[in-house]
Amino acid sequence: MSPEARKAFLTIAAVCVVAALGWASLFDSLPPAEFSLQSGSDVKTLDPARATGNIEGRILFEIFEGLLKKMPEGDPDPVNGLQAMTPQPGMAESYEVSNDNRRYTFKLRDGVRWTDGTPVTSYDFAWSWQRVLHPATASEYAFHLHAIPFAKAYNEGVVEVGDRVEVELWDRPGETPTGRGTHQNFPRGTILYGTLREIRKPPEPTAEQKKANPDAESEWTEQWLYVVDVAKLDQDGQVDWDGPTERQTFSANLQSPLADETTQRSHGVLVAFDKLGGLETPDPRTLIVNLTDPIPYFPNLVAFYTLFPVHRPTVEKYGSPMFTKAENIVTNGPFKLQLRRLRDRVRLVKNEDYYDADKVSLKSVDFLSMEGENTALNMYETGQLDWVTMPPETVREVLKDREDFYTAPQLSVYFYRLNVARPPLDNVLVRRAIAMAIDRVEIVEEVTKTGQIPATTIVPPGFAGYESAKGFEPNVARARELLAEAGYPGGRGIPRLTILYNTSEGHRSIAEVVQQQLQNNLNIAVELQNMEWGSFLDKVQQTDYQVARAGWIADYPDPNTFLDMWVTGGPQNNTNWSNAEFDKLIAEAARETDPQERMKILQRAEQIWVDELPAIPMYFYTSINIVKPYVRGFAPTAQDVHPLQLLSIDPSRR
Amino acid sequence: MRNLAGYLIRRTGWMLLTLWIVYTVSFILMRSVPGNPFSSERTVPAAIERQLRARYNLDATPTRQYIDYALGIVTRGDLGWSLRLEDYSVNQVLAEGFPVSASLAIFGLVFAVGLGIPAGVISAVYRGSLADVSMMAAAVLGIAVPNFVLASLAILLFVFGLAWFPAAGWGTFNQIVLPALCLGAPVAAYIARLTRAGMLEVLTREHVRTARAKGLSDQAVILKHVLPGAMLPVVSYLGPATAGVLTGSLVLEKIFALPGMGSHFINAALQRDYTLAMGMVLTYTVILFVMNSIVDISYAVIDPRVKLQ
Repeated sequence: MSPEARKAFLTIAAVCVVAALGWASLFDSLPPAEFSLQSGSDVKTLDPARATGNIEGRILFEIFEGLLKKMPEGDPDPVNGLQAMTPQPGMAESYEVSNDNRRYTFKLRDGVRWTDGTPVTSYDFAWSWQRVLHPATASEYAFHLHAIPFAKAYNEGVVEVGDRVEVELWDRPGETPTGRGTHQNFPRGTILYGTLREIRKPPEPTAEQKKANPDAESEWTEQWLYVVDVAKLDQDGQVDWDGPTERQTFSANLQSPLADETTQRSHGVLVAFDKLGGLETPDPRTLIVNLTDPIPYFPNLVAFYTLFPVHRPTVEKYGSPMFTKAENIVTNGPFKLQLRRLRDRVRLVKNEDYYDADKVSLKSVDFLSMEGENTALNMYETGQLDWVTMPPETVREVLKDREDFYTAPQLSVYFYRLNVARPPLDNVLVRRAIAMAIDRVEIVEEVTKTGQIPATTIVPPGFAGYESAKGFEPNVARARELLAEAGYPGGRGIPRLTILYNTSEGHRSIAEVVQQQLQNNLNIAVELQNMEWGSFLDKVQQTDYQVARAGWIADYPDPNTFLDMWVTGGPQNNTNWSNAEFDKLIAEAARETDPQERMKILQRAEQIWVDELPAIPMYFYTSINIVKPYVRGFAPTAQDVHPLQLLSIDPSRR
Repeated sequence: MRNLAGYLIRRTGWMLLTLWIVYTVSFILMRSVPGNPFSSERTVPAAIERQLRARYNLDATPTRQYIDYALGIVTRGDLGWSLRLEDYSVNQVLAEGFPVSASLAIFGLVFAVGLGIPAGVISAVYRGSLADVSMMAAAVLGIAVPNFVLASLAILLFVFGLAWFPAAGWGTFNQIVLPALCLGAPVAAYIARLTRAGMLEVLTREHVRTARAKGLSDQAVILKHVLPGAMLPVVSYLGPATAGVLTGSLVLEKIFALPGMGSHFINAALQRDYTLAMGMVLTYTVILFVMNSIVDISYAVIDPRVKLQ
């Protein structure tokens, strides 16, 4: 290489470095928001139908609004400072409930609008709820709507011969008759309605074929041929179920040996949920919801984000998840989305067109994503954050006495699942002995240290109208007796137990205390095993463990959320525990119309749970928040929800 | 120039081969770990999980997935949708995170080079002096102290003590200073030691003695005749250092709440986000390859004895 070329190369390199420095110094500076809070890790999605989790919820509650919204009722409790939050009119100005608690009539406010200026109507709600239920949306919280007739069957894709069904033809936008399907389930293809007359199935693949080809099962179901008597629609879009029909056949796979040339390709055959009267929309401002079970907590579900409406034209234009992008999204809440940057922030600004905009004080809010808890505290102490939602555990004790520290009992419980199929835990006496031998006071006072409440039942305190079942009494002497009764006097001959937990400092400390207590009190040898989150969940879901850590947060403020998970074979049970009487009581409670009677039934179910102990309750969580003293309107609540529209900043104290 | 073109073509060939191997190994490894991208504390009902698998083409046979995903990357440059950050495609995640990681790396490296080389030169020239001993002691410390310790000390001093810089966040020049310093410090220490060693070696060479005999000033001797030769080890270190600075920022990203892509690396693997993890792995493979190639080329430029092959 010649010296000139070398010189040129060095010059180019120098220019590159300067250019890189110049580029790196370009920041699109964003002035800080009026109010900033710690949001935790990045939100998974801003699609209300798909979202799960507190972090997502905190943002969704601000940018969307349901028929009802959770707002404070009355004054905070004088004893523990808890502010009661109840569902109150949101998009609906009022609602009526029929005497049997099975029919809700919501009346929407006049003049409520989406951020693009179009009115919010009852049709938006009916459509959004159907979207939540559609199987391809795969909403994890779709069960919130299962009390509506046909919703569960629709959601799970179950059809039977004789059902009134809808058939979606293979003509969604972008689909060709022979090509692959699109995953965009909205907008939908052409929908035909009719009565299912027959499902013809080719021979089912044998067990060996299924083993050789994991897709054999789904390939087989795609070949099913549905015979439907297609009905006609009248001018109003109502289906004339009993009128003249035309017999047609449908299949997802036209290569199916059963298909002929008249068979039409379709996505699937589902119960005709939207034509069977579960939801009625007599006019744009009225939504009538019919329920099969008179669940008393339905208003709470309506005030939860899964049932919030999404803007149909936007979803249909951009598809999911593109409609959630800041430049596309159309919302109806007190704030609107301005900017969303991964690992950085979600910036909301006040929605001036919100019906209650006069009462919203904050102009802009930053939800700062951060993984480090210490980082959040640093930012709070130096004035970059106004609200810390997850203070680091190590310093909680130091922070506890400050005026900006808010702690409150929460509707959530920490417990150890027991695999009741494995000896010695198949013996209820052993389970009870272990539960009684653990000193929970030591755990909450020496380990967790922020006012957690020792638990001897599964339902946390704080549900209006519910009195928990009688818990067991921790008592080491009695525990030893029980163990002897079970055939292990003095712990002799009892197999060693393994406690499984997901890798975390906090879980380990608790497990170590339990290990020591069981060793000292009952002479049971305990091993600890920690696993990374994904592997841990796999083990628990396959019930491949002896004792496994767990936590549960209320999905809705009703004791049922802590109890119905334990029914036989329930997806969250994972303990092999099964009790027919318990299952019967849970089902009975769902049908009971009298709220007081219902609570009594649930209490009886909880008593069975406490007597049988498929899990060992440890403690009820507390929520912890640190909020600057100049923020007005912040009050601790049992579900840890704090609507931003209630907050304002006192400039004189900032 | 001809051998430069030939070199680039050969390097690209090797890079593609490496990418394919990395792709294959990552693909197999990710699908053999227990757990799946849809697991959470709440068990997802079977019907819903089936729909989710279909949405991300995870219901196809592994071979089919392997081919489909590779085809998407090759034909459309599309790394697919992230499984855990649902509203983002992997390309969007990279597009948002890469500029941040890159700016941080640029500042860190410029700081490291700007501090490390002069420190090394001074140490070598005034060998055995107090300045030499103290700078080399600092360099050993800089290499030994992990950057999260350094970051904590820096926060204590500059944020809570002197209140010069904000505690964390991204968006202004002030916010990048501390992370760039912490990121660059160990690199600077290494560079200082390499420069010093290189200088000491070259200083004893014949051509340096000749230059001095000609009556050139000390400054001219050091800058023109010693430094270029002493730079070779530094340049070869800069390649892996750049890649290291780009990947190694994940701890600092957490401490300083920076929106770079380092943290995606860990989270994607822990949450079984197959597509995002694959995107990160492939991106870093490319970065490493490009950086090493640039180093090889600059080597040939600085030292006429080196031939590109």
